[in-house]
Amino acid sequence: MKKLIYAIAGVAILGIAGALIYQALNSSLVYFILPNEYAAHPAKYEDRRIRLGGIVEPGSVQYDNQNLQLAFAITDSIKTYPVTHVGAPPELFKENTGVVVEGHFDGETFKSDELLIKHSEVYEPPADGQPIDIEMLKDTLQ
Amino acid sequence: MDLSLGQLGMASLWLAFALAIYGIFAGILGALRRDARLQTSARFAAVAVFLAVTTAIAVMETALLTDDFSVRYVAEHSRIASPLWVKVVTLWSALEGSVLFWGWLLTGYGALLAITSPNNVLRPWALSIMQMVQLFFISVVTFIANPFIVMAVPPMDGPGANPLLQNHWMMAVHPVLLYLGYVGLTVPFAFAMAALITRRPGIEWMTQTRTWTLIGWGFLSAGIIAGGWWSYEVLGWGGYWAWDPVENVSFMPWLTATAFIHSVQVQERRRMLKSWNVMLIVLTFSLSILGTFLIRSGVVSSVHAFGDGPVGPFFLAFFIVVALAAFGLVAWRWDQVRDNAELDAAVSREGSFLAGNVLFLAMAFAVLLGTLFPLIVEALSGNKVTVGAPFFDKVSIPIWLLIFVLMGIGPLLPWRKAEEQSLRKNLMWLVGGALAAALIAFLFGIRRVYPLLTIALAGFNLVSLGLLITGAVVPRARLSGRNVLSVFRQYAFESKRRFGSMIVHFGVIVIALGVLGSGAYRVDQQIRIDYGQSVEFQGYELKALGAYTYPELSLLQSGTLTEQDVSHISLGANVEVWRNGKLLKVLNPRINRFLGRPEQPVPTPSVLYMPWHDIYLNIAGELNADSSSVTLRVVQSPLVTWIWIGGFIIVLGTAYALSPNRRRVKASQEARGSVQA
Repeated sequence: MKKLIYAIAGVAILGIAGALIYQALNSSLVYFILPNEYAAHPAKYEDRRIRLGGIVEPGSVQYDNQNLQLAFAITDSIKTYPVTHVGAPPELFKENTGVVVEGHFDGETFKSDELLIKHSEVYEPPADGQPIDIEMLKDTLQ
Repeated sequence: MDLSLGQLGMASLWLAFALAIYGIFAGILGALRRDARLQTSARFAAVAVFLAVTTAIAVMETALLTDDFSVRYVAEHSRIASPLWVKVVTLWSALEGSVLFWGWLLTGYGALLAITSPNNVLRPWALSIMQMVQLFFISVVTFIANPFIVMAVPPMDGPGANPLLQNHWMMAVHPVLLYLGYVGLTVPFAFAMAALITRRPGIEWMTQTRTWTLIGWGFLSAGIIAGGWWSYEVLGWGGYWAWDPVENVSFMPWLTATAFIHSVQVQERRRMLKSWNVMLIVLTFSLSILGTFLIRSGVVSSVHAFGDGPVGPFFLAFFIVVALAAFGLVAWRWDQVRDNAELDAAVSREGSFLAGNVLFLAMAFAVLLGTLFPLIVEALSGNKVTVGAPFFDKVSIPIWLLIFVLMGIGPLLPWRKAEEQSLRKNLMWLVGGALAAALIAFLFGIRRVYPLLTIALAGFNLVSLGLLITGAVVPRARLSGRNVLSVFRQYAFESKRRFGSMIVHFGVIVIALGVLGSGAYRVDQQIRIDYGQSVEFQGYELKALGAYTYPELSLLQSGTLTEQDVSHISLGANVEVWRNGKLLKVLNPRINRFLGRPEQPVPTPSVLYMPWHDIYLNIAGELNADSSSVTLRVVQSPLVTWIWIGGFIIVLGTAYALSPNRRRVKASQEARGSVQA
């Protein structure tokens, strides 16, 4: 009898814990994607926090020194999205560097609250006419 | 031809490798044949292995300190202009050296055990198990990640240690503490295995290793807290814990080890939980190996993956072997470790320990799941994901709160079964303390649920500690008619383990409040300040004076110093922190550029430590010597200092529990004396 009660209590606790853990896991998953992957399934990432990787598009960087507002475009050469970020551009933030921004899409604009520079691997854009190796880009940024 | 340091180091590793193999065979054979001479020989081998690895360590340090770039490890991780302390600790700043260092500590513990542990049936087996673990580490540094490989063409200078590591002296301390923790917990693991092999799953193995377990746990706790402080001082986001894989893998064995040091007490008192205890220590040891695999192999992406060398598969294989062998042994001896005693009542000391154990394990499982989940998702769907901090917070905070409830009640409950009357009286006090604390917090404007609950449970636990002490002291004082203070002093002195555990629990409460304050009420923003101007922040005035440079720019410009002479150059800002017209401190957040690795500048925060909250400044954005303003990340973290103080209290409590009891030592000496007489 005692054993049965313990067993039932144990199973109940495990069940509740499992359900809680599943719910918490599901809601805190942060997908790491490139702009073209977002473009393919925007609905999948709606209202989700994502990590968007790509290259800082040359000529797109604007920084408002007074309000600490940074704007630039992130690209994987297939698709390009504008990014807004609150805060100063970090040291080593340059055109053509690989970056990962974390935040969410607001319409077509990505609102970032975290900006990481992938400075250890300097990405080299492919020679003219060569297609970009998307898989490699993703691996480098991850 | 002269013998190079590289060859000398290599030779000592080979010697250690051979001695370790001999030690294992001699130990096992000696145990099987009950051959005392072979057993003694195995003990000598343990000491000899330690000496051989010590030689390797001495050779590596010599190479580092004499800038011998013919040794590849030195060439890749050291630099002539680095300060002395950086050169010394470069030993463990990269993969090969850190495995060698870990192995060295293991052999040190092994030698100490061989010399000091009492002669009994367990000893030869435990020593052999220890030597098997040593053999793994020695093989890794000998064959897979050998730090002594010789360079054909030695470079003139090297790049120096990882900038993030040499940027703070904590790197001299934190890894050492962690390794001492892991290594310390290897000892009870080895004795548990020995107990299973020799069919003695009683309490001998745990009483013999009690000191080692506590030492290991204490070092592991200190190492984790020190790592948090390192991350606060170096990583620049004003936090100390990001649920990064590298943090998680140190936390998981800590959780199981914490469960273990509680549940062994149940076996010591009630002869219950035999199999549970063995499994907990197996879990603790294998999780520390699994963790090393996860962060050394690069399979999980981590903000600070300090090296993805070739050792990953070997640690994975070792983990699998350890887990299979150890759990297999438990299964094989199942009839021996099965419990025959039963829990008399859920509401009892052992009941609360057991519940706490389940909670610690649940948390360890959740952290493991969260750490491994990205791997599972990528294997199943190809999606690259990370599990965010919200998951870990959501799961661990409620579990911690439940643990705090048990931490308050458990020590007040008697073994076997609690009497309802005294239980009700105690509970009234505890709940009263909780309500009073929550009410005070509420009056101070705290409205959120988790902070209120945490503060309530802090009150609950403080009352519990008060009840524990008065419960022990007041009756004695009344009986003996002595004053309370002297009885208390005697109690604290005589019951060192019990009183030490109270100190540790108090430290845990202090940390909980620190985590609550810094987690729930931190203010984090970016501010731009023109030099000469000041900006208001949370009731403080931040006044940027101008650029901060190190070394003096003029010295570099005039050529008195060249880039070859300095380890790093810093550029930052001098910022005064004022409050109510009073200057509190001049902070100098800066960006350090280590000249051996200039491509990796390290923003280095500067912190004003205060008891109620810190003011934390870090350079955000680019900074030039001729800038006319600076952009700062400014973080105000309430109570964050309490975490470091709490960690210190925990270490103090552990040390107190471990300190030798003079009275008992004297008594045992007298007993021995009378036997001899």
